[in-house]
Amino acid sequence: MTPRTLPGRTLRNTWSSVFETGWGAHAYPYLMVLPAVVVVIGVVVYPLASGIITAFYDVTLRTLNSGSAEFVGLRNFERVLADPAFVQASVNTVIWVVLNVVVQLALGLALALLLHRAMPGIGFFRSGILVPWVVPSVVAVLTWRWMYDPSVGIANELLVRLGLIDNYHPWLGDTSTALYAVTVESIWKGTPFVMLLLLAALQLVPRSILEAASMDGASGWRKLWYVILPQIRVSFAIAAVLTFILTVNNFNAIWLMTEGGPLNSSEILFTLAYKYGFKRFDLGMASAVATMLFVGLVIATTVYLKLIQAREGD
Amino acid sequence: MSKNGTWKTSAAGIALAVGMGMSPAMADNVVLWVNSPLASAPDAPIYEELQAFEAETGHAVEVQPVAHMEMERNLFVALSGGAGPDVMALDIAWVAGLADAGLLADLTEKSEPLAAQFQKGPFASGRFEQKQYALPLYTNNVALFVNDKMLAEAGIEKAPTNWDEFRQAAIAMTDEEKGTYGLTFGGGRMGAFQLYSYIWQNGGDIIDTEGNVRVGEAGAVGAVDFLGKLYTEDKAMPEAVLTAGSWDEVNAPFIQERAGMLVSGDWAISALKNGNPDLDWSVHPLPAGKEAATVIGGYDLAINANSSVPDASWQLVEWLTGPRGVELMRKYNRLSAAAGATAPEAIASLPEEMRPFMEQADAGRARPVVAQWSQIHNEIIANAWDSVLRGTPAQEAMAEADKQIKALVGQQ
Repeated sequence: MTPRTLPGRTLRNTWSSVFETGWGAHAYPYLMVLPAVVVVIGVVVYPLASGIITAFYDVTLRTLNSGSAEFVGLRNFERVLADPAFVQASVNTVIWVVLNVVVQLALGLALALLLHRAMPGIGFFRSGILVPWVVPSVVAVLTWRWMYDPSVGIANELLVRLGLIDNYHPWLGDTSTALYAVTVESIWKGTPFVMLLLLAALQLVPRSILEAASMDGASGWRKLWYVILPQIRVSFAIAAVLTFILTVNNFNAIWLMTEGGPLNSSEILFTLAYKYGFKRFDLGMASAVATMLFVGLVIATTVYLKLIQAREGD
Repeated sequence: MSKNGTWKTSAAGIALAVGMGMSPAMADNVVLWVNSPLASAPDAPIYEELQAFEAETGHAVEVQPVAHMEMERNLFVALSGGAGPDVMALDIAWVAGLADAGLLADLTEKSEPLAAQFQKGPFASGRFEQKQYALPLYTNNVALFVNDKMLAEAGIEKAPTNWDEFRQAAIAMTDEEKGTYGLTFGGGRMGAFQLYSYIWQNGGDIIDTEGNVRVGEAGAVGAVDFLGKLYTEDKAMPEAVLTAGSWDEVNAPFIQERAGMLVSGDWAISALKNGNPDLDWSVHPLPAGKEAATVIGGYDLAINANSSVPDASWQLVEWLTGPRGVELMRKYNRLSAAAGATAPEAIASLPEEMRPFMEQADAGRARPVVAQWSQIHNEIIANAWDSVLRGTPAQEAMAEADKQIKALVGQQ
């Protein structure tokens, strides 16, 4: 190794000088990211791999404690697929995700456009609209539970006074309305986040483009469709993917409001996996559901992002 | 290290070893998980009791309160991971599942000489497959809470004592215009817990002592049909029965004077007193069907199979479930599981609202002690009850439950 020199004198080697040349210099960047890689492997890769592997073993508390969990191939998946609750949870998951994503994006965009204006007190409205997002999930869910109460809930009182229903209705107790009642809470809670993302994107749209569109005689809808949406498409795509993932994983809303009931009518795959894992303590079945959910999420997200990229290419 | 230093270190080590060898029994640290109401404040009676235990034995006890709703899951997860407490208070319905998973220490030999000091039902709740895994800390059962004012306004002079009177009272207190109902009840697993007493009262069973599944038989079906029709036909229960998944939600209509009767245990007493101090209510033994029966609840104490301090843990279990435990539970207004607690003089010394529970203690029945009980209760019977509330005939719902339970316990 060549000693480091300054004009007129030689510098003494330090321990860090081994990273300045040769293999040391080559390894240096890898060593810098090593702690982060170790953490990611520990908290993401290992649990993920462990979960997928568990799906192929008969892991219950009894086998876990005795250390006798056997490899059972696809039997956990067969048992899950044979459970009528899984079929219902899968259908519910699709309804739950589609409703949440579509309505949250539509409402979030509408609110963002509404609040992207210069008017007196706009700061107050922008802050106020974020309240549902800021409220802790548990507080929000329990508040909505009482609002839906079939005897004294304010939701029923409001709907009766508006003439939309004749009698109080057990929204969370009726198998035909429970999932939709929880969806309303989830949309209320999630929309401000979408609004925030899209509002930030709207504020980056150059005014000159909008003014040019106006001068060309573009109407409000045409400006939205041909000018604004293309300008914010990246943020819109990110909002869509995040809403999709957050909705699939939105365990709190369903668990705290209905626990997937009544009669599995509001069960989604996430709550079903939880029940298998922490009610039945059948970790093999829980992992099988979680693995299917993971694969589904990866495929859906990848396809969506590819479509966005393809449109970018066009 | 210098030669001099080495000698000093060796001498200190020898002195420590000799000292330890000559000292009396080592003091151990015991970790105790209790359901949170027992350790709700720093001055809760259990802390004083544990100080007495520590002074007597020299052991130290670390109390960790856990909410009832979280306790079962936390115990399963912690114990199966090789961690968790040394001693745990656990709902009597969880003993079988934890014992079946090999997570509880076998106390059969140690507890045999103590059997006579407990009531039979609560003592049996700690037994699974001929082995004793837990000793009863306290017991409870369900009785009938009646709003005396609503009952009198309905023109009924005394609380119901049989099913006919029970139904008549429920109908009489129901008034659609005033928005009042005869009975508040739970949906799902809450309702399932309340159902069991009625199934036994009707001569039915869930899983009998030979392990036969019997929920599809006439006794069980008749009881579910009777209670279901109080909602579907007589409209004597509020709509809240469809969603009431906690005791707070079951109690609410009674506290708000919208329901005249409540089937619950002694844990409801403080909720009623705090919720509506002006409420005019009384407690009565559960109205009897073909026979008297009430479901036993309560908490047991058990020891972690992997505890590093099994002897100190046993000492703690023996202390808390022994004679001092009777007085401890009295401070909490809980019913002791000691055999002497059912003696007339012991019952007479209880607060008035507690007496009916102990008076009917002999009719107490334990839920089946099978490893799959949590799933049977939380999913299968809870779903059957939910189905009946939504119009499915009881015969059909219970036949389906019967099929599912048999498949689960391997009888098909």
